[in-house]
Amino acid sequence: MSTDLQALQHEVTLLELVDRVLNKGVVLSGDITLSVADVDLVYVGLRVLLASVATLEEQQLAAEVAR
Amino acid sequence: MAALPLREEETGWYLYGVVASGADLPAAAGVDPREEVVALAEGPVAGVASRVSLSEFDEAALAERLADAEWLEQKIRAHEQVVEAALEGGAVMPCRFCTVYRDERELRRFLSERGDALADALARVEGLVELGVKAFAAPAPSSGEASRAESGRAYLEARRREQQERQELARSRGEIAAQLHERLLGFAEDSVVLALQSRDVSGREAEMVFNGAYLVADRGRFEDGLAAIARERDDVGLELTGPWPPYNFVPEELSRP
Repeated sequence: MSTDLQALQHEVTLLELVDRVLNKGVVLSGDITLSVADVDLVYVGLRVLLASVATLEEQQLAAEVAR
Repeated sequence: MAALPLREEETGWYLYGVVASGADLPAAAGVDPREEVVALAEGPVAGVASRVSLSEFDEAALAERLADAEWLEQKIRAHEQVVEAALEGGAVMPCRFCTVYRDERELRRFLSERGDALADALARVEGLVELGVKAFAAPAPSSGEASRAESGRAYLEARRREQQERQELARSRGEIAAQLHERLLGFAEDSVVLALQSRDVSGREAEMVFNGAYLVADRGRFEDGLAAIARERDDVGLELTGPWPPYNFVPEELSRP
């Protein structure tokens, strides 16, 4: 059943990773740390990246369907 | 002619996470793959760190770097790889991306100041992993009845019906989420309910109706439990991610400087 497959799919999307490494985790007041403004910048930068990932996945999907 | 001395590049320390002092540290390539990732022990804990060039990671340079999507993805993945490798050796408290110290002494000072809290937090997650669960439902159908209404009254009635339908949908989704969370709690030691990602962010057709993180001792049991729920429910698609380092289970007192 496809639901099972979906449930157990261990896909690690970049977004999932980004949400964790940018917003969670220990903050030990490093000499240099990301400010809130920096985190916003990251998301702006990543939107470009994620858009290209989505396009790539669509292309792969289309290729699979076509096969 | 005497060779000119190379100008020494200023370096700092990038801190990936904190482990128990003496824990195994499997090798992994860091944010600068030329530099070795080491454990700097300070009392009961050790910082997992590697040297980085401050011209790459300094505040002034960072703003520019952060706009470079390729650089970002590479460094974020390297950060995660080091933390995951450390996780193979034992419990880890992962640090936030881009925690950089200008020198080793400063890094050690912070480790020593927060040593007890870090050691407690590590003991709490020992032998446990974080798993992520998301539930997706088909997007709400839009009848478009109101926009086709021919009179003001018909329009208002259609609008009211649509509003009721939306409320009903939100209520039933809330119920699905609550039931799912309740059952998964039975397979976990701790949990956090996370913000839902909008369709813009998730880039999916389906709407996220639940997003949670679970701290789990018996991964097989949790996954079997989730698969059983997935077989029972055809109204939602369930997605499992992980195992993750316990990013969502860093104690509050360690989540702020």
